[in-house]
Amino acid sequence: MPSYLFWLFSTIMLIGGAAVIAFRNPVSSALSMVTCFVGLAGLFIGLSAFFVGIIQILVYTGAVMVLFLFIIMLLDLKDEEKRARGFAPLAAGLALVVAFVVQLVGILSQSADKTAPDLDKQTLTNAAAQFPKDSKIAEALTDGRLPDIHLIGHTLFTQYNLPLQLLGVLLLVATIGVVTLSKRQAD
Amino acid sequence: MPAYYLEALTITLGLILLMAEAFVPSKSKAWVGILAALGLAAILGLTTIAIGPEAKPDAAWAKWPLWNFYQFDSLAIFYKSFALVCTLLVVLLSIDYRSILARFTDHPGSENGTGEYYALSVFACVGMMMLASAKDLAGAFVSLELVTVTFYILVAYMRRNIGSLEAGVKYLILGALSTGFLVYGIAWVYGSTGTMSLAALPSSIANLQSTTPLLFGIALIMIGLCFKIGAVPMQVWIPDVYQGAPTPTTAFLSVGSKAAGFILTIRFLEPLLANPATSGPVLKLIFILAIATLIFGNLAAIPQTNFKRLLGYSSIAHAGFLLLALATGQAETADAPGAITVVSFYLATYLIMTLGVFFILAQVRIQRDGERIHDFAGLGKSNPLLATALTILLAALAGIPLTAGFIGKFMVFSLAINAGLWWGVAAAAIGAAAGFYYYFNTIKAMWWTDATNTTPVTLPAISKLCVATLTVATLLFGFWPQPILALLR
Repeated sequence: MPSYLFWLFSTIMLIGGAAVIAFRNPVSSALSMVTCFVGLAGLFIGLSAFFVGIIQILVYTGAVMVLFLFIIMLLDLKDEEKRARGFAPLAAGLALVVAFVVQLVGILSQSADKTAPDLDKQTLTNAAAQFPKDSKIAEALTDGRLPDIHLIGHTLFTQYNLPLQLLGVLLLVATIGVVTLSKRQAD
Repeated sequence: MPAYYLEALTITLGLILLMAEAFVPSKSKAWVGILAALGLAAILGLTTIAIGPEAKPDAAWAKWPLWNFYQFDSLAIFYKSFALVCTLLVVLLSIDYRSILARFTDHPGSENGTGEYYALSVFACVGMMMLASAKDLAGAFVSLELVTVTFYILVAYMRRNIGSLEAGVKYLILGALSTGFLVYGIAWVYGSTGTMSLAALPSSIANLQSTTPLLFGIALIMIGLCFKIGAVPMQVWIPDVYQGAPTPTTAFLSVGSKAAGFILTIRFLEPLLANPATSGPVLKLIFILAIATLIFGNLAAIPQTNFKRLLGYSSIAHAGFLLLALATGQAETADAPGAITVVSFYLATYLIMTLGVFFILAQVRIQRDGERIHDFAGLGKSNPLLATALTILLAALAGIPLTAGFIGKFMVFSLAINAGLWWGVAAAAIGAAAGFYYYFNTIKAMWWTDATNTTPVTLPAISKLCVATLTVATLLFGFWPQPILALLR
């Protein structure tokens, strides 16, 4: 990805992130979070992770944030705007930021810079050898396209099949939980 | 039978229970629990004929990528059986506890809200069984979340009881926090070694230039695991959640969830201890956690007046003993059991003693409407047999000779002495002494305190059978521990 696009999307993300905590109105904060996620999706797409980028917009920016907005509007958080800001939360937040920065600097200074290989036709054709000859993935790779949805699906349903099925059970349990904990009392 | 059938059958059992509970019209829901118990017992029987891919390398299923996430050795069999036995007993306990569950769920007069409880316990059991076979951090994380999310619901299950709801919220928030630590730690381990597979970790560690990022990741994962096993620094939730949650859930948390946390810790530490670059710092970290947990759990238990809360602190204290055994890092030798064997044996005896106590506690809660130590007063006069059983179980928890609890504690002490962990031995000795004091406080209340409430407690048939079996087992394994040890070979 051209570096000016990286800076553009990172700036959008940072502005969005700062606005989440800067705004007093919860609805404005939630919408700033949408901005932040859009910037993140741009970064993903710039890194050739097209599917993850689109999912970021569809699921997080779309579905999850709409849910957030619904909850905020249902709860009617008027008091939040009047509340004074204490020193303790600010200090705790800053301490977390410092901890993250220290970790990142520590790691980045220790590890050598690496450049990811370009996704040119040669790399993709070489990768096609790992898949059965006439499969969709191999065809797309020899054509010089990146079939990232197919690749993710292939990984999920072969290599990560067991955790995926367990996640199904987990979702079922969560559904049962919501029903048992929130159903109306019988008369 | 391929080993993963065990989990598949347990999930199927949970689904059958849900369907049956929803579509079979019946006033009492006890039969759902009995069906669950029968199913779990059948699956427990099937563990004896389950085989891993090594036993049949030519079969088609032996080549599936599933085995990258699933291992099947004697330790896996032991902890799978452990999860099944624990769930079985918890389900039996909740059958007798359903009057309270019904009072605080749907409608005081009907049991309609209690059916899902059994199905949820079975689903939690699936997660614990998967953890026993953990081989990859990604797979282990999903299994661990299955256990944790199920427990969020089980803790808050009595939704018309303010204590249960409060416990549920506390457990949810602290559980989410610890999950955050765990995932962040896994990310660091993956970032520094490039693998999430526990089998591939040793070779990756050997190629590392600097272990600092890896150790940081390990420390974060240990914080997440400490939440599960109830050890310092993530022990704060235990007393409140144990007190507020429905009694069967508390029993499940203190035995099943703790054992699941320990098997994951064992699986996670195994590759780390194989390499001298990581084994030193990791053992030191666990040693410090063990001492802090021993001191905190035992000393904070002394002033407690609520029996359920006391059991919460006692469960922290036992986690301290178990961590101390792990901190020795001793391998198995011909004449002495290793750290993993000792931890597993200790957990097995802990299951027997703790669940026995919870069966009695649940009935005292129902019939005397209280869970304070004070509510046990006069039990020696009104129910001498029951009081004797509880005395034996509590004495075993304290570690009196000729009970199963003594052998477990003795093994931990001898491991720690062999490894030369003298500070650990001192902390454990203080802990054991404090344990005598607070367990005997309850025994004293039962036999020698005059009661205001002298109504005799009558145990229902299932509870009576379970208490009798567990008490006899406590005494039996006190001088004949070989059957449990044989399972660990």
